[in-house]
Amino acid sequence: MAVVSTIPREDVDQATSSRSAAPWQAVVWNDPVNLMSYVTHVFRTYFGYSRERAEQLMLAVHHVGHAVVAEGAREQMEMHVQAMHDFGLWATVREGDA
Amino acid sequence: MSSPVRLTLSTVEAAHLTDLIDQFTELLADTIDDEGLDDPAIARLVPDAYRGDPEAAAEFRRLTQSDLLDRRRDDAALMLVTLQSHGAAVRPGELREEDAAVELEILLEDGAIDAWLRTLTAVRLVMAVRLGIEDDETDDLDDARFGVYHWLGYRLDGLLSALDD
Repeated sequence: MAVVSTIPREDVDQATSSRSAAPWQAVVWNDPVNLMSYVTHVFRTYFGYSRERAEQLMLAVHHVGHAVVAEGAREQMEMHVQAMHDFGLWATVREGDA
Repeated sequence: MSSPVRLTLSTVEAAHLTDLIDQFTELLADTIDDEGLDDPAIARLVPDAYRGDPEAAAEFRRLTQSDLLDRRRDDAALMLVTLQSHGAAVRPGELREEDAAVELEILLEDGAIDAWLRTLTAVRLVMAVRLGIEDDETDDLDDARFGVYHWLGYRLDGLLSALDD
């Protein structure tokens, strides 16, 4: 992810450690183009996440390389992934490992 | 996000932005949505939605690719309209030197804000493929296109900051 403003590196385990029994996941992958501020903005406005949660997920994408941004029914995850593509983020659907 | 966002661009910036969006629009016009995408820059705008499952990826693409590319066309068209309605009609080559630094105030309403964010992002994605940017370190100070790429990122980041205020 491209860095414009400096966001402190912090523990991002929390953002990726939550796993539910939901069978499908929407995953956002790191890329060198999208700005950290933009990825956070997308997570906040599209998913309605709080700034804190959106930043945690963004940092997980940046440092871990990917983050699960939503879990649930396959059709719903496909809808989310299409929306992420619409914003220019690199996202995939996958079966959860619950 | 109810009140419009105010963006200040110099006339020369607005002219270059118009030129870039024109080029992006031409690239999209040359793309036939339902066919395989030969251009990796266009392909980056509609990535595979499934890893390791070509069949599911192809089916997803069949259902979404043409909608997504149409959205890029609509967003780019709306961005050009907002630029032109705020006085950015001059192309870089037609610019008079004394006008270059004149500032243009651009007011963006909700729908236009999203179109700007997504189009600036899409143009950066296309440029990144053309420039071979594959990690955070790729850069070339001697190549003016990297300067344009970073400037777009700077403007995108500024727009996001303005939204936060």
